[in-house]
Amino acid sequence: MSRAIEAGARLPEWSLPITPTIVVSTALATRDFQDVHHDRDRAQAAGSKDIFVNILTSTALCERYVTAWAGDQVQILGIAIRLGAPAYPYDTLTFTGEVTEVAEDDGRRVATVKVVGAVSLGNHVIGTVKVAVGGSAA
Amino acid sequence: MTGEELVPAEVHEHVMAEAARIQAWGEAAERTARDEVNQATINTWLDAMGIDNQRFSAGEAPPSMAQVWTMYGLGGTPADDDPLHAMMRVLTDAGFTAVLGTNSEQTYDRYLEVGERLRITTALDSVVGPKATGMGVGYFVTSRSTWYVDTVAEGTGEVTAEKVATMLFRVLKFIPAKAEA
Repeated sequence: MSRAIEAGARLPEWSLPITPTIVVSTALATRDFQDVHHDRDRAQAAGSKDIFVNILTSTALCERYVTAWAGDQVQILGIAIRLGAPAYPYDTLTFTGEVTEVAEDDGRRVATVKVVGAVSLGNHVIGTVKVAVGGSAA
Repeated sequence: MTGEELVPAEVHEHVMAEAARIQAWGEAAERTARDEVNQATINTWLDAMGIDNQRFSAGEAPPSMAQVWTMYGLGGTPADDDPLHAMMRVLTDAGFTAVLGTNSEQTYDRYLEVGERLRITTALDSVVGPKATGMGVGYFVTSRSTWYVDTVAEGTGEVTAEKVATMLFRVLKFIPAKAEA
């Protein structure tokens, strides 16, 4: 099901506690084997505090956040993210979002959703998600 | 201080000349995904991401998995003609040893289907710098990847390349600030 979506609508806040299991399982599930996403010794030797969430997962979590709110049947058209503070284990990644625009595009209603995923160090990800939310507005 | 004075003029000229050379390759490093879009890989991804969506057990793949299908994988190494990695090597050799991903902008023309096999090309979009950032002095390197699904027409054998997704990916290649002292 997809919901009626209007500009200005706010998405409910969603918090994801980051664990080593989340960092490692998502990195490997995205087929990203860079050691900084699964080996704390190597991550620290490279100057990081710990292993950290990879970029494909930051994108995927934006997809999850917007789809869970808009409805499983929507079509995600694009996810543009800017990366900030790393997401380390034992931190919490908290997403907020707002619909900034709903426009007609080729017979579809396309919503632009701005999402921010914040950790204790600041914003981890600032994203713009384009999502087709159904047919023409009535 | 002008931008060019952040690094020696000859270093900047070398970096920009190499950027122009690599940009001229256009869409390069063409590769085909090792595996078709498949349910087992989708399921592992859904488990890790904590997503439960019936569409993704009924033939469709999550859109942001587009990049997953063509990852180099464990032990995989980029080809010599990969424009992003070629430009990264130029900058590493010029002393810009550190790397930080700053932007990923993906578009999805449609959701992929189980059984499809992706092909990817990558082009060097731009090299901008030098810039003084909070991390150190560096260059922003932007690559553009395009994913295709090729369909072979029965009878004629004519191949149609359908663009299914794109990605603009930007990294900062920099000299770590603390290493400059």
